[in-house]
Amino acid sequence: MMQRVWALALVTCKEGIRDRSLYGIFLFALFVLGLNIAVAGFFMRDLGKVTVDMNLAALSFAGLLLVFFIAINLMAKDIDKKTIHLVLSKPFSRGEYIWGKYVGLLLVILFAQAVLLLFSCATIASVHAMYPNYFAGFSWLVFFVAVFFVYLQQALLCAIVVFFSAITSTSFITLIFSMASYIVGISLEEVVFYLRSQAATQEVVASAALQRTLEVVSWLVPNFAAFDLKLEAAHGLALDWTRLGVTCGYGVMYIVILLLLASLIFKRREFN
Amino acid sequence: MAGQRSKWLWLLIVLLLPVYAQLHTGSWAQRAELRQSQSVGFLVPSQFSRVLACGYKGLLADYQFLRILTFFGDRSLNQQPPTAEDWDYFRDSIDVITDLDPWFYDPYVLTEGLLTWDAGRIEEANALLAKGVRYRTNDWRLPYYIGFNNFFFLKDHAAGAEYIMKAARLPGSPSYLPTLAARLAYYGGKSQTAVLFLKQMLAENSDERLARRLQLRLLALERAAQIEDALQCFRHDQQRDVVKLSELVSSGYLESLPEDPYGGRWGILKNGRVFSTSKFVEKKKTDVE
Amino acid sequence: MIVFRSVCKTYKLGLLKKTTLAVDDLSISIPTGSVFGLVGPNGAGKSTTIRMLLNLIRPDRGEVLIDDSSVSDGSFLRDVGYLPENPYLYDHLTLRELLQFAGRSCGLSATVIAQRTQELTEQTGIAHALKRRLRTFSKGMRQRAGLCFALLHDPSLVILDEPMSGLDPLGRKMVCDLILDLKQQGKTVFFCSHILSDTERLCDQIAILHQGRLVHEFDSDDLAEFRSGERCLEDEFVAAVGQDTVQKEMPS
Repeated sequence: MMQRVWALALVTCKEGIRDRSLYGIFLFALFVLGLNIAVAGFFMRDLGKVTVDMNLAALSFAGLLLVFFIAINLMAKDIDKKTIHLVLSKPFSRGEYIWGKYVGLLLVILFAQAVLLLFSCATIASVHAMYPNYFAGFSWLVFFVAVFFVYLQQALLCAIVVFFSAITSTSFITLIFSMASYIVGISLEEVVFYLRSQAATQEVVASAALQRTLEVVSWLVPNFAAFDLKLEAAHGLALDWTRLGVTCGYGVMYIVILLLLASLIFKRREFN
Repeated sequence: MAGQRSKWLWLLIVLLLPVYAQLHTGSWAQRAELRQSQSVGFLVPSQFSRVLACGYKGLLADYQFLRILTFFGDRSLNQQPPTAEDWDYFRDSIDVITDLDPWFYDPYVLTEGLLTWDAGRIEEANALLAKGVRYRTNDWRLPYYIGFNNFFFLKDHAAGAEYIMKAARLPGSPSYLPTLAARLAYYGGKSQTAVLFLKQMLAENSDERLARRLQLRLLALERAAQIEDALQCFRHDQQRDVVKLSELVSSGYLESLPEDPYGGRWGILKNGRVFSTSKFVEKKKTDVE
Repeated sequence: MIVFRSVCKTYKLGLLKKTTLAVDDLSISIPTGSVFGLVGPNGAGKSTTIRMLLNLIRPDRGEVLIDDSSVSDGSFLRDVGYLPENPYLYDHLTLRELLQFAGRSCGLSATVIAQRTQELTEQTGIAHALKRRLRTFSKGMRQRAGLCFALLHDPSLVILDEPMSGLDPLGRKMVCDLILDLKQQGKTVFFCSHILSDTERLCDQIAILHQGRLVHEFDSDDLAEFRSGERCLEDEFVAAVGQDTVQKEMPS
């Protein structure tokens, strides 16, 4: 079973890495990193913070593009062009197909992020060398932990893409749903806490129905904001390792449950 | 035939290019004019911008900060004194920026550099700085700024000393801070205090636009301090206060009355502090009498 | 032994769930080791039949059995090789990588994969293109690559959907030889095609499908007569399909 999952993952990964649009995404990320070097001088003191901000933004935004375009394309092309007939005519179970594809997508993103991380480290090191006095709060450890969580966030998003690809028939619907999930997931926490603070300070209580809906949504959609350590990395703030552990476990659990659901649904699906 | 047609197309493009160039310059000139006349930029309240940032809060804070820098940069480049509305915008922007990323140090420096000296909004500046103190718990500079503001602008020596002592307890604070508190309490509102403070701010600042402002102010304050020193000597020797500042020159305490770099005229307040009619604010023309 | 037992399949299309009958009450049985040809006009339900055999879609009624066990448990796939119509293979892989994937997914060892790859690509005449990306392949080459992909793990049941399409005469001959070769080895071959002359030459059994229904079956005796020239498959095909169309139109 592992062998089949791994074989499909490798094929998916090669197919993704050799896609031309990957170069476009690389170019975009490199542009942001170059912009970072150019812009750094405009700031007064917190150059380290601005540099980390821009680097992490480049990595995470490139990751989003990767998921929304390359990952969705890799999932959808199989079904659109009926390559899935070929794959499923080999002794793959539907579940193995889902996991193989998912691991393949993770490999694509891992590869792209590793390349970008290399460039990103070079950028930080060069800005560091240009303005050595303004990197007081900077810590490589926190930066790498933040990068890991950016990756974890994209792994979650990939699981969402795989899930929606398993239940819908067109890539456009997958794109819309996974984008919506991301936007809701990243902003949900802010809205929930804002409403809570409103309810606490003012006597106005947001309507019970709204609260209830948000509660339900928070169970369905992962809280992407929990994986966002950009501010911590930017200022080299101390990390709370138990918090990171819980977040990590939360993400992994969400992925596993979602993919199991996806394979359950995929088992019932027919491929014309 | 096809070659003929593409020749016409080329001709059309060549004809259209100058029109485009004209409109391009016109559009940019219009924008420049518009930006000058615009009193304030738009600002998304922090509850919304925290959501709209979609996980890029730090980056949005950086961008917003660059915007406010260019806004005030433009104003000083065009020698337009910022209006009360501009200062409201400034305060709100810094508030949003520090809501997006409360650990970001630059906006606090800019607040201390502009909102106190130029706008005279000491309480507002202190409120913003207090937010920084809550988050940057290990940074001695923010309580130090608040302490200075209390001493120098608000004349609240008790609060000032408290903040400066707080700053002195934090790691990395200069060793002179504890004695500085005492000196500040003694000198109170004297220009010499501000000279010390500005020198420290300048030492750790790299932004040229802010540095230029600070240097100008430092120069003015140094001159004011020079006059104050001369006044003190005069009082010590003659056992009386001068009637007019020119007395200092005629009696030999000063070689000449230094020029106010802001273009104002010097005067003496009742508490013995020297002031200038320019109030140390840059003006296009000095029309103050 | 492959058995279709009164199999029906309808498709529901679009939001309005308009139903179309793709396969209607189909019953066929194919003995192990024979070559079975499914022929019929476009849209007759040939591909649907094949997809039900592969468990890609499920019949609404009836059942599909391979060696007395239902296809829905998927365990038979280890022994099946499938070539879809106009196979779309992964664009950015090289032929060698594609065949490696086929081998690995069936649990073959690296040496066996390398050996089979060499054999099959030489037999199909694309050994020179092992290092090329599949996107650079012509339609015929893609068809050959698909054949290699289907046969790599030496399956005992080979399912070919239009194996001759897009091939030049040489390619067609190659495919014919390949099918005869498989028959020699005692494998079951299930294929559908438009090209009747090839079908009659290769098959032990032929079924004509029209509008989802089995309209005629020819056994090996019929086929011997076709080959000896006593009867003509083409004429009987046209007759069978024509008669079916007339019968359908009569009630209306």
